[in-house]
Amino acid sequence: MALLPGPPAPQQGCPAPDGCSPPPHPAAPQVHSLQELRRSASLATKVFVQRDYSDGTTCQFQTKFPPELESRIERQLFEETVKTLNGFYAEAEKIGGSSYLEGCLACATAYFIFLCMETHYEKVLKKISKYIQEQNEKIYAPRGLLLTDPLERGMRVIEISIYEDRCSSGSSSSGSSSSSSGGGGGGAGGR
Amino acid sequence: MPAASGKRFKPSKYVPVSAAAIFLVGATTLFFAFTCPGLSLYISPVIPVYNAVVFLFVLANFSMATFMDPGIFPRAEEDEDKEDDFRAPLYKTVEIKGIQVRMKWCATCRFYRPPRCSHCSVCDNCVEEFDHHCPWVNNCIGRRNYRYFFLFLLSLTTHIMGVFGFGLLYVLYQVEELSGVRMAVTMVVMCVAGLFFIPVAGLTGFHVVLVARGRTTNEQVTGKFRGGVNPFTNGCCKNVSRVLCSSPAPRYLGRPKAEQTVLVRPPFLRPEVSDGQITVKIMDNGIQTELKRTKSKGSLEVTESQSADAEPPPPPKPDLSRYTGLRTHLTLATNEDSSLLGKDSPPTPTMYKYRPGYSSSSSSAALPHSTSAKLSRVNSLKEPNSICESSRKPSYRSEPSLEPESFRSPTFGKSFHFDPLSSGSRSSSLKSAQGTGFEMGHLQSIRSEGTTSTSYKSLVNQTRNGSLSYDSLLTPSDSPDFESVQAGPEPDPPVGYTSPFLSARIAQQRETDLHGRFAGAISPKHAPPREPSPVRYDNLSRHIVASIQEREKLLQQPPAPGREEDVGLADSGIQSTPGSSNAPRTSSSSDDSKRSPLGKNPLTRPAPPRFGKPEPPQALRVRSLGSPDQPAAPHLGKSVSYSSQKPASQASVPEMEEVALQPLLAPKDEVQMRTAYSKSNGQPKSLGSAPPGPGQVPLSSPTRGGVKKVSGVGGTTYEISV
Repeated sequence: MALLPGPPAPQQGCPAPDGCSPPPHPAAPQVHSLQELRRSASLATKVFVQRDYSDGTTCQFQTKFPPELESRIERQLFEETVKTLNGFYAEAEKIGGSSYLEGCLACATAYFIFLCMETHYEKVLKKISKYIQEQNEKIYAPRGLLLTDPLERGMRVIEISIYEDRCSSGSSSSGSSSSSSGGGGGGAGGR
Repeated sequence: MPAASGKRFKPSKYVPVSAAAIFLVGATTLFFAFTCPGLSLYISPVIPVYNAVVFLFVLANFSMATFMDPGIFPRAEEDEDKEDDFRAPLYKTVEIKGIQVRMKWCATCRFYRPPRCSHCSVCDNCVEEFDHHCPWVNNCIGRRNYRYFFLFLLSLTTHIMGVFGFGLLYVLYQVEELSGVRMAVTMVVMCVAGLFFIPVAGLTGFHVVLVARGRTTNEQVTGKFRGGVNPFTNGCCKNVSRVLCSSPAPRYLGRPKAEQTVLVRPPFLRPEVSDGQITVKIMDNGIQTELKRTKSKGSLEVTESQSADAEPPPPPKPDLSRYTGLRTHLTLATNEDSSLLGKDSPPTPTMYKYRPGYSSSSSSAALPHSTSAKLSRVNSLKEPNSICESSRKPSYRSEPSLEPESFRSPTFGKSFHFDPLSSGSRSSSLKSAQGTGFEMGHLQSIRSEGTTSTSYKSLVNQTRNGSLSYDSLLTPSDSPDFESVQAGPEPDPPVGYTSPFLSARIAQQRETDLHGRFAGAISPKHAPPREPSPVRYDNLSRHIVASIQEREKLLQQPPAPGREEDVGLADSGIQSTPGSSNAPRTSSSSDDSKRSPLGKNPLTRPAPPRFGKPEPPQALRVRSLGSPDQPAAPHLGKSVSYSSQKPASQASVPEMEEVALQPLLAPKDEVQMRTAYSKSNGQPKSLGSAPPGPGQVPLSSPTRGGVKKVSGVGGTTYEISV
């Protein structure tokens, strides 16, 4: 994911004596001038919410509140997010009429139907992705956190990136490098 | 076979799949070409159709089993396994439906393999719900393609049976001559089919049993659940339906990377911390460690209880962080600042020494420290005000106008609006710690602070009387060592400080915060160059201040030369405490970096309870033992700076000691302290007698052998020679 520093805004006494040059193109490699790096967030650490295997291999995540998020986000918000995600995954893996019919149809068409149609699981994954994005926008990003879709990690963990407020330049380079490395890792995983 | 290309083309691994494909397609084609026309002609045209359908099914499943991603896990990224390298165990156990299942660490993929996951050595991948690596399809069979593999087996068995059966029919019916080509081909096909039927059927039957039992080949072959219970089974029907009817799982690799369009930009929201939620973790930034080490659980508890109770919504972060040292992790931001605090010597009650008369204001200043959590308890301060009035008056008298120091206020005030006085919602710990006696003093200090100077106004506004700065305590005439010491004649009686912990912390905080800033500002005030000492007398209890005054008078007499030593000893005692401070660190990992410098601090120099600012070298150079005017050790002497650099300082030093110690004492010790003061007032202390031990008596122990042990904030023990 790309961390977009955005135009620096002097707040909380953060000095931005120089002017602010326009932020770089989001998709471009993270090359910033000093001014741009002011008042940006940099990746501080990552928290990993592990899978909850107590019910077998069904995809569920632990709702235990990580201590690193203690001061960053309210407990119930986090738990609600994880519970919703768990609900989504349970729905995706649900064996019911729709999935059975889908299987039959696929068999009947010698699985050519998969070229045209999305599976039920994929549909739910899209919903999940949208939900995570919405959560990020509304809840997590304002708190300096970022959720990563567990699908990118093989559904083993929910990765929560914790960002720190940096008033000085240079820190965002580390943040951008981590984000680009994260992107690179994800791309490599997508081989 | 061709030599290796970049990827080390291994033709051998394609032999089985090629052979399987050739046999399958070839035999079937021959069947269709040679047998089916006769059959369709003489028996039924449905036969070829049926066989075609089955064959199509076989091909489809064969293709899916061959080309579909079995559920390969992408390699874990660097940051996911940061702790798993050296110290991580090889296995992690997880409980699944009451059964312990081991998850093994995969060194290649760098994560703990989920249950039922295994690493395929042929494919060099961890595969989800790994079944086996099938050479006939040249692919791993895992969660995603097991269904297709199973169906392939089923359909292949059916197909083989069909081909064999219809070939047999063809032969037996003798629709054509036996010696004909068609007959020969049909018989060959029948032989091939018959030959393959036995292993394929066997495998099919095997997998039917596996599916019914809910096991994988891997589990069956390795005997994982031999005689045991399989936690992954849901019953025969559910297992079958899960294999056949569930929605195909998604692949993890090769997904289009979603562009993260969410901006993460500061400033960040922070959660409101309610009283019940705050987990006060005393960060081991050097301050606490000392405190804790020493000993007294009692004093420690007091400290902790105080901080634990203080749970007002945290003040604005940057400010708050300053005072985190002893506080908690109210916010992450505090962590950075805690390091500041940690580096300083623990807050020393020395300020009390220097400002005997200033009781109320000092105590209130001290309060903010401990009540980092209580910061926003502005409301509660109102009550004290009324109380303050009565007792406060005198304290303002002597307050110097500390305009220069006023700049401290913003720092101080910003950080907390603590409500030092316990009123209702306020941190009850304060109450308990100090008792009512402190309240009075505290109130006074609060009030006095509030009205003293314009510089305080900001403080007052911000902190609601809670954060009384030390500024008012500073008097130019004070002993040079102690910048903030108002030990002079006019010091107001210290308002009862809320708690020794508070005062210590406040001092520490002050020191930290203001150290840099005030250095310049304050120094001009005092003749000798010394670092600004943000020791605040706000918390000084009236008693302390009074006793300080007393002692000052008494000490107008020639100062005892031994005092320095005493002081030094006392300091050394204090020094020892910090050493072990590292243990009780409870802060989050982010604090680690902060802690380390803190941990070193105490050891490097005597680390008396932090009062924010090290005393001016002269007064507090206890450690230096006789080297007057050491501007250097700001952190040192705060707690027990008894440097006898100057007569004035000396005079004030013992008082400072005691006063400083007072905040560390629990309320109940105040009385003892007073006695101690009276004792010590008359004599220069010879601290040398007993090296203070960290585990010494908790709150002021009775003087013995001329050495009094006083417990400082957080349990640090100071020995003061009396």
